[in-house]
Amino acid sequence: MGLGGRGGGNLQRYLGLIPTPPPPCVQPCCHPLCYEQSECRLHKSLQMKMEEMSLSGLDNSKLEAIAQEIYADLVEDSCLGFCFEVHRAVKCGYFFLDDTDPESMKDFEIVDQPGLDIFGQVFNQWKSKECVCPNCSRSIAASRFAPHLEKCLGMGRNSSRIANRRIASSNNMNKSESDQEDNDDINDNDWSYGSEKKAKKRKSDKLWYLPFQNPNSPRRSKSLKHKNGELSNSDPFKYNNSTGISYETLGPEELRSLLTTLIFLFQQCGVISEHTKKMCTRSLRCPQHTDEQRRAVRIYFLGSSAVLPEVESSLDNDSFDMTDSQALISRLQWDGSSDLSPSDSGSSKTSENQGWGLGTNSSESRKTKKKKSHLSLVGTASGLGSNKKKKPKPPAPPTPSIYDDIN
Amino acid sequence: MVVSKMNKDAQMRAAINQKLIETGERERLKELLRAKLIECGWKDQLKAHCKEVIKEKGLEHVTVDDLVAEITPKGRALVPDSVKKELLQRIRTFLAQHASL
Repeated sequence: MGLGGRGGGNLQRYLGLIPTPPPPCVQPCCHPLCYEQSECRLHKSLQMKMEEMSLSGLDNSKLEAIAQEIYADLVEDSCLGFCFEVHRAVKCGYFFLDDTDPESMKDFEIVDQPGLDIFGQVFNQWKSKECVCPNCSRSIAASRFAPHLEKCLGMGRNSSRIANRRIASSNNMNKSESDQEDNDDINDNDWSYGSEKKAKKRKSDKLWYLPFQNPNSPRRSKSLKHKNGELSNSDPFKYNNSTGISYETLGPEELRSLLTTLIFLFQQCGVISEHTKKMCTRSLRCPQHTDEQRRAVRIYFLGSSAVLPEVESSLDNDSFDMTDSQALISRLQWDGSSDLSPSDSGSSKTSENQGWGLGTNSSESRKTKKKKSHLSLVGTASGLGSNKKKKPKPPAPPTPSIYDDIN
Repeated sequence: MVVSKMNKDAQMRAAINQKLIETGERERLKELLRAKLIECGWKDQLKAHCKEVIKEKGLEHVTVDDLVAEITPKGRALVPDSVKKELLQRIRTFLAQHASL
């Protein structure tokens, strides 16, 4: 920059814009090495040149010739640079490295045809693309993949629960659909003590057509709520455990809320948060709470005897919803007779999943036992009238009061 | 008289070249030209030509002088008109600014 600046100044001087050079420079200088002096001499000689130049500068053809010359010079420079580059590449042996044989060149030739991309592929292919979900390994249309993944990987509010369930169901395809759907139903609700009303309403709406839907799709399973099916499994246990309470003495609302709580505890974490006073709605293995906490909650509600075994009954509760006692009864009867195999597989699976360690065999035997008591119970329940027939259970003697406290 | 005129011309050219270098304009022009030539494929064309030449001669016998002799004429001819025009325009502008005030 300094050089350029000086050059500009010099030019102005050459051109007479700065009329007189500084006095000291004009004088002969005694120091040959003096920078200023040498510059002064240069100025003088250039000054003469510039005078000539400005005279000839008006000549356009000459200027044009000079321009052409400069241009040729520059191009020559570039060529020279290029030659050096090539020469070096040749001598170093990398000049021909990027060469390939003509055949492979042909293979990778750029395609230039309408409707094809440069690789010769049809470019709207993506429309039919399917992606395989890494989690549940089903193939999903590309456009639906993101929403699916959100559900499947558990990013959304409910999704992890839905996904876990789905995985479980895909492992046991032929297992009864009802387990799954029941779970959905319960889980989808943001469960809290006060939510029974809502839950009940939903259930009764959807009760009957659900079994016809395909349980595998996350979307559908979300909307499905209810399933009828295995009434019999869960409840019987509870019964047995609950020794002292007579269910007949409880009002229908109480029964319902008790039952809901119980079912909830079999399938979900249920630890009561200090802050919100609500129960945790995550799965039994929810990482936020410890097994100890879960156990404590169960003891609180169910009594110590109830804690572990209950888990096994994954089931359901559908019975609440029914307003029609007849339907309930017929269902129960059906359960008693034919229901064994599906429910068994369902319950054994659940117990394994939940890590409570119940053996399949024991659960089966219990179930069968239960069924009987169950049926008898139904009889009593129907006696209560149209209030839900619940299978009543909650063993914990203090239950009603607990509810009051919590609420 | 003729001699002195040629002398003048030479001096003038020298002065202009000096100016080009001093102001850094020459570097800028070179860089511009280089970029344009790469952009328009000049370099690739020339490289292809080089390959032929080198294959003919044999890898071992290539010298810089040979290359320059073979490549430079071709290189000059291959410069696209648009690049040439742009460059000349810039040179003229430079000359107009500095030489003909």
